[in-house]
Amino acid sequence: METLTNFINGTIALFGDPLGILIFLGGVIGGMLFGAIPGVSMLTLAAILLPFTAHLSPEHGIMLFSVIYCTGVYGGAITAILFNIPGAPENAPTAFDGYPMTQKGQAGKAVGAAVTCSAIGGTVSAVIMMIATAPIAGWAISAFGPPEIFALVFFGLAVASSVGAKTFWKGWLSILLGLLIAVVGLDPVGGIERWDFGMPYLLAGIHFIPTILGFFAVSEVFVQVEKKARGSYSAPKVGVDFPSLAELFAQKVAVIRSIVIGFFCGILPGIGATLAAFMGYNEAVRWSKDSKEFGTGKMEGVVSSETANNAATGAAMIPLLALGLPGGALTAMMVAVFQMHDMEPGPLVFLNSADLVWVVFSAMFFANLSILLIGFLETKTIINLLRIPFQFLAPVILLLATVGY
Amino acid sequence: MKNLRIAHVVEAAIWLSLALLLFVNSFDFNQEIEIYRYGASAWPRALLLLIAVAAIGQLFGQWLRGESQGSEILSKASDDGAELAAEVSNHNNPKWLAWTFLIMTIPFFYMNVPGVVGDLLSLDKAGLNQAKLLTAAVLLGIFLLAIRGNHIGGMLTLPLLFGAFLQDFGFYFTAPFFILGTMYLMGERRWKNMIMVGALVMGIMLALFVSLLYVGLPTGIISPFYEFGTTIVNLLQ
Repeated sequence: METLTNFINGTIALFGDPLGILIFLGGVIGGMLFGAIPGVSMLTLAAILLPFTAHLSPEHGIMLFSVIYCTGVYGGAITAILFNIPGAPENAPTAFDGYPMTQKGQAGKAVGAAVTCSAIGGTVSAVIMMIATAPIAGWAISAFGPPEIFALVFFGLAVASSVGAKTFWKGWLSILLGLLIAVVGLDPVGGIERWDFGMPYLLAGIHFIPTILGFFAVSEVFVQVEKKARGSYSAPKVGVDFPSLAELFAQKVAVIRSIVIGFFCGILPGIGATLAAFMGYNEAVRWSKDSKEFGTGKMEGVVSSETANNAATGAAMIPLLALGLPGGALTAMMVAVFQMHDMEPGPLVFLNSADLVWVVFSAMFFANLSILLIGFLETKTIINLLRIPFQFLAPVILLLATVGY
Repeated sequence: MKNLRIAHVVEAAIWLSLALLLFVNSFDFNQEIEIYRYGASAWPRALLLLIAVAAIGQLFGQWLRGESQGSEILSKASDDGAELAAEVSNHNNPKWLAWTFLIMTIPFFYMNVPGVVGDLLSLDKAGLNQAKLLTAAVLLGIFLLAIRGNHIGGMLTLPLLFGAFLQDFGFYFTAPFFILGTMYLMGERRWKNMIMVGALVMGIMLALFVSLLYVGLPTGIISPFYEFGTTIVNLLQ
């Protein structure tokens, strides 16, 4: 009952203020658009907006970022499905089956499934987050120390190495190379310069956003160039036939399984939505009777990945708000918003700024619901991006990837 | 040995060389940290050791079973078709790779040659800018000649060249050429369409970044490109 009262109060605080409504809508549309436009992501938008949040109240600042998080995670699925360019790492498994569906002329079905399942996953996660935050936060505080967090991160890496790599060894070599790249810059304990080769740009390390842009956006352009040179490039077929209710209902097991996986992955500090999406996809392959069809354009692949990553968004707020541990790049930026307002995320936020917490929770709940409405309306516009020949889209992707960060 | 190909050995050699090179380099920061007994180099070295183990493990696996040792579904799912396209286009042969690699070094010449020339001739700032202009013109000519018949090399190099020129010549002057160049290398030949799309893209970029978000895109530092960039910024803001 207390939860419901808090939720109603949070909703009134959110929608009772015109500026709050404006920021909410801006966050919803901005997150979706930046998530969907190839070459930029919700992280680009969040990075651009970060300095401006100093002029907003803490409630509005955190609410804006949480809304961008929810809708951006969904928006990234659109580019993963249409162009094989995941808007963020958490959308990478969506591309495994989403892009083949586009190539088969089922882009509309894939995007429709992503819209519906993102909304379901996110909304359920937001509801559980509201009910369970306090007890889970209390348990996590007493149960999670550095060894547990190390074990969880290692578990995440092990999953990542087994999904998406051609072989076991290639998976681990990729993981190790990633860890090696993360070593560049100042050592976090002693401040000693490591592999900066005298370049001041490398002192802060190789940043996450340009790395994502390079690996996902720029590489996709190069792959298409190679295909064009060979003459094998074929423009993706456009289809706007959304999945029927029966088709979506047939995915109920995948949706429930992915919500559970997504929520538990999201709640683990430092892991978040990316592991959720990979595990959701991995489990879908493992549970399926016709697992060989995965990777060839199976709707269950899109459903599993998108439900899981959006289910993780609500859960990811729990370690952030209860322990001050961000689960990914965007939640790390939220820590920066807190710090700009002389606040530290942690258990004290629940005591000192309960209003803020509930405005954020309400905003996330409604942001996930609005994915369903705006997602369906906007998707038909975005699918038309496919009609643009790739030679016209390539310079835009490369230019935004270069100046976007 | 029947499953082992030269490519497997070359890949393992690259991983092992990288690990060895970085291990040697790690002595540069092999310092003790008072509150962390393993020091600054322990974790990087552990990673290098694991890379070496994984590279040898991969080679051993390829020796025993060839390439097909992973999940067929996942390998199919993560295959973007680039490898097949490269194979069919004969872009795996050493001559093509060497040619492409040489084209890709052009931006690095621009980043280093003017500085070296400036040091040798003790050039002042104006002289250094002249050297940069001359180097840019020469390298651009070489680039245009070199990419005839190798548009892939051109496409791989163009973003690097754009990045190298960005600081000196500014975004506002170089971006239109970058947009047109990308479209041309991607196979577009209809100049009217290219100019229209180029103008549209530039217009949106300027409206978004300069007018709306006040993001400071590089204006360039060499005259008259600097003046060109600042005039556009002043007009739009």
